[in-house]
Amino acid sequence: MRYLAARTAADGSEDVIMQACRHIGTSGGRSSRHIGTVVPAPRWPVRSSVTASPLHREGMAVTLTSVGVWLSIVGLATSEKTAVAVRHAVAACAQAAGAGAALSMSCGRGAPEPLFATDTLSDGLEELQATLGQGPSVEALAGNVPVLAEDLADERILARWPDLVPAALARGVAAIIAIPVSSGAARVGVLSLYRNRAGRLSGDDLSGWLLYADAVMMLVLDARGGLAPGAVELIGKGFTERRAEVHQASGMISVQLRVSVTDALVALRARAYAEGRPISAVAADVVARRLSFVPLETT
Amino acid sequence: MSLRDRRAWETFVRLADTLVADFDTIDFLDTLAQDSVELLGVDAAGILLADYAGTLNLVALSAQQTRAAGLSLLRQAEGPCLDAYRTGSVVQCPDPLTFRDRWPDFAPAVLAAGFSAVYALPLRLRDQAIGAMSLFSAKPGKLDAEAADLGRALADVATIGILHERAFRHHEVVIQQLQHALNSRIVIEQAKGVLAERLHLPIEDAFAVLRGYARDNNLKLAAVADAVTRGALGDDLSIGSAQGEHPRGREPRGYRPRRPGSPLPGDAVYVPNTASRTSRMRPSSSSTASWSRPAAGPWHRPAADSRIRPARKAR
Repeated sequence: MRYLAARTAADGSEDVIMQACRHIGTSGGRSSRHIGTVVPAPRWPVRSSVTASPLHREGMAVTLTSVGVWLSIVGLATSEKTAVAVRHAVAACAQAAGAGAALSMSCGRGAPEPLFATDTLSDGLEELQATLGQGPSVEALAGNVPVLAEDLADERILARWPDLVPAALARGVAAIIAIPVSSGAARVGVLSLYRNRAGRLSGDDLSGWLLYADAVMMLVLDARGGLAPGAVELIGKGFTERRAEVHQASGMISVQLRVSVTDALVALRARAYAEGRPISAVAADVVARRLSFVPLETT
Repeated sequence: MSLRDRRAWETFVRLADTLVADFDTIDFLDTLAQDSVELLGVDAAGILLADYAGTLNLVALSAQQTRAAGLSLLRQAEGPCLDAYRTGSVVQCPDPLTFRDRWPDFAPAVLAAGFSAVYALPLRLRDQAIGAMSLFSAKPGKLDAEAADLGRALADVATIGILHERAFRHHEVVIQQLQHALNSRIVIEQAKGVLAERLHLPIEDAFAVLRGYARDNNLKLAAVADAVTRGALGDDLSIGSAQGEHPRGREPRGYRPRRPGSPLPGDAVYVPNTASRTSRMRPSSSSTASWSRPAAGPWHRPAADSRIRPARKAR
């Protein structure tokens, strides 16, 4: 069943994610069959209406818990009277950080494409990093570790990214924080924060932003799997599962379906959602070889 | 010098040697957990790190095969590990009765796994804990003072192994380092799954293959795991340049009729002792013999769809 037609998004951006990574999602109680065919995400216009001039706001010293993170995301969606979407997670993170935020996504082997931004400044710099092939976001994506450029005026940072830093400083950006959106080898993209003031980050700040990146990961995976969990479910599920079995099962499913680990994780989550069981339970079945995912022979 | 002193000395010298060289964090922690078991006279040891959500994640375990047993207890929300991490002080539980009183949800799993005593230490960085190290014993009783001191020292070595020197100054850098360790572990778990499926091995044996390959070829465990998850594992079980995500157009293994017991392409086959031996993945000779026969599973029969099958009877 072509799931894409059934899902009408509140705005066009969700369709991008689903068109970009074609999957036939679950339907009712039937078993999930996945054909993993992944195409690079097309370029999408900046959604500038989500938040107003975040770079001019004062930074908020907020200690975030996972529940707090999800509540802020759901609150943003509710205020717009739309379903929770990836852009809400990006916007909520931007608000919490008192900065501009942008999300670039990579689908399969294509180069990462800027997909969302809270303002034109962030979008422009995100695109600049992609064009120059240098910058914190590029390195965070490659190394799968957060990259913190707390003070772009620092000469060591200038030496590291000689083409990007002057352009960023000229536009009024003083610090860039790039957080990979990934779960091990299941890499989806990078979340970048652009601040207009330099200064030491606190550990609490970074912890909070990592939680937002987790939320983005979950929302992207669920969108790819054609899932639309309700707000209560999102908060209840919390964030990406951390148990070893989930990761082991992702590896096994990636071989069974002959797809990337990212797509395997999507299939696993979709399966769990369709059966109404926790992800860890489905993963345990996969690892114990009680359950295997088998690709269709013909499309 | 007593026997224990001598062994402690040798252990710390070896760990220090590892630290100054370019080392693999997860492999180092696994070795340290194993050393802790031998040195402190306990039966199992685990190292857990806290992530940005405050959850403890298991990153190293002393013996892989005990994972199947109630060591899922380490993932329980409650328990001595969590208390040690949150309070920043040692938590000791020398007998089963105390277990049940303090941690009623956690105790059954521990006792079912055959452990009677647990000793949990925080991994401390100045005035902050980044995780915990837990030691399990089958026999009840407290850890003696000398072993407690040694345990403290081993926990400190674990902390140093996870964080680099500069991390001690900035908390956000600490978090970066922890993320790196946590990420490495996730990739390794994913690679275990990939190998277990490709080679038709149980997860533990797949890990032995992964580690053996890394050591034989002087590569970091995390790097090998990264290559495996990117699909760089060839049909001959060598890691060459990435060939793309997975070879396409191959007949799905599960659909090929075969005699039960005959090896499938890609099965782990013993590679004789030739010059090219070290460039290939092979099950380590110390693993169980299960690699020589396919493990029980549904893939040798065509499966119309994925559904839960009744568990196989014990072999």
